[in-house]
Amino acid sequence: MIVDSHQAPAHDNTGKPPVTVLDPTRAPDGHVAGIQAKRRKPYGQMATGTLIVAIAALFIWSQAANENLDWSSVGEFMFHPVIFKGIAVTLELSVFSMLISVVLAFGVALMCQSQNRLAAVVGRLYVWFFRGVPLLVQILIWFNLAVLYPKILGTDTNQLISGFTAGLCALSLAESGYMAEIIRGGILSVSKGQTDAGLSIGLTRGQALRRIVLPQTIRVIIPPTGNQFIGLLKASSLVSAIGGSDLLTQTQLIYGQNFKIVPLLIVATAWYLVLVSVASIGQYFLEQKFSPDGAAARRSFRELIRRNVLLRNHSDLPRKAVQP
Amino acid sequence: MTLAPAQAPLMVIDDVHKWLGKNHILRGVNMTVAPGEIVCVLGPSGSGKSTLLRCINGLEAVESGTVEVGGDLVGYKIHKGQLFEHTERESAKMRRRIGMVFQHFNLFTHMTASENVSYGPRRVLGLSKAEANEQGLEALRKVGLKDKAGSYPAQLSGGQQQRVAIARSLAMKPQVMLFDEPTSALDPELVGDVLQVMKRVAEEGMTMVVVTHEIGFAREVADRVIFMDEGRVIESGPAAQVLDNPSHERTANFLRHVR
Repeated sequence: MIVDSHQAPAHDNTGKPPVTVLDPTRAPDGHVAGIQAKRRKPYGQMATGTLIVAIAALFIWSQAANENLDWSSVGEFMFHPVIFKGIAVTLELSVFSMLISVVLAFGVALMCQSQNRLAAVVGRLYVWFFRGVPLLVQILIWFNLAVLYPKILGTDTNQLISGFTAGLCALSLAESGYMAEIIRGGILSVSKGQTDAGLSIGLTRGQALRRIVLPQTIRVIIPPTGNQFIGLLKASSLVSAIGGSDLLTQTQLIYGQNFKIVPLLIVATAWYLVLVSVASIGQYFLEQKFSPDGAAARRSFRELIRRNVLLRNHSDLPRKAVQP
Repeated sequence: MTLAPAQAPLMVIDDVHKWLGKNHILRGVNMTVAPGEIVCVLGPSGSGKSTLLRCINGLEAVESGTVEVGGDLVGYKIHKGQLFEHTERESAKMRRRIGMVFQHFNLFTHMTASENVSYGPRRVLGLSKAEANEQGLEALRKVGLKDKAGSYPAQLSGGQQQRVAIARSLAMKPQVMLFDEPTSALDPELVGDVLQVMKRVAEEGMTMVVVTHEIGFAREVADRVIFMDEGRVIESGPAAQVLDNPSHERTANFLRHVR
């Protein structure tokens, strides 16, 4: 069997045709010029594969045959309305706090980069505090704000700050500390010449930063922001400590009554993985869209699957020449 | 040594000093430029040529001395005999009168060529979109790149990028244009096109201060050549005189190495 090779010789500039092209899809002109030869046996890969299958089988067996696991309960609660309500809250918490944090972070990043030294110091302090205090501690502080300020603007604080709003505040602020650093990194990644050029046509420093530099940071900011969002999805489970009615809170609510702890934690695990997977796919496409390589932006979903899931063996797919 | 300009000078640089950290980069630079005059500034690297240009359009503040363009001080204003530092807005207003072309082009990478050249007229001069586009395209035509209006900088060669950068500066209709080693970052075969464009700009009567190592360009286009070393102007005069018959040993030495 001939599998494609990544050792196909690069097309050289000497004008001579490449001597061997094992992967027809990599032939420069699409011409199939593969040589017929028996491939080396990948013994190492075979051994690893066997080991993995054995371990996986052992693990699955230990679960499947485990009476404590109670798969029927997992099935029963997988699509339970209470769980769905939790998923909705988790999504709301993550999406809203991400949006709020990005807005805050742009402000803080601009402060940090400002010529105004006081603003820069305040920006640094903001990042230092909200990035430094553990998220769970921040959540608890917000939830217990009523102890500090019993009334805010004439309203009872406990009425104003529910588990959800406390979680939203804590997540947004903590996240904005990280996002501010990401955005500041993005600003620093744009060459100083861009600012000089902006100034030279008569922009003020602020205008050059906002209109010339910031738009160019987006491409740099997107990938780490996707990462942060995935982190946020998971971190939102911490609001269960104050009954934030998110996915984990709802899960605990159910197993607090029926004591089927492990099955319900499996339900939560499955849903968190689903949410994170969806976010990862979204991140992939955002990255492609903002990548400087225009061709990659047009890469289809099918191509994504082909490259990342089917990996190297695409002998069953139509062969066509790709530009080297 | 400096030639007396026939008309009132457009630019007067008077005893300018500049420190960058502990380095005394400019050590008392004096220079005047008449309207329409083409001045080429030569000198070894580190002699302060680029810093001088950055001080002229206010990208860097000077520590001592004054820079005057079109009768106004750069970076300061005089009110009732007292010097006041410009506000950010006033500095920006001054800079729009002084065009600058950079060694590394510094085109706005997220904009097309036509957006690059019309951005200033639109956002800084406040022209309507149509007028700004018109002015931008006119500038692109001058540098011979009207057909590249829709291209992004990454799709252009170095020479084309530099010509777009010249167009971006031209589109602002500045009083004076500063060129900071405009061909130093280019492949040799692309240098000619850029110099050609600069020559055309010069022929249209633009006042230009050009920091360059292109002796040929200086000889052909410059009204005056200035030689700088260690933060001072050590020689200034007509191109032929400075280039062929330098009065200073350091100038002669430098020219021997450049050729």
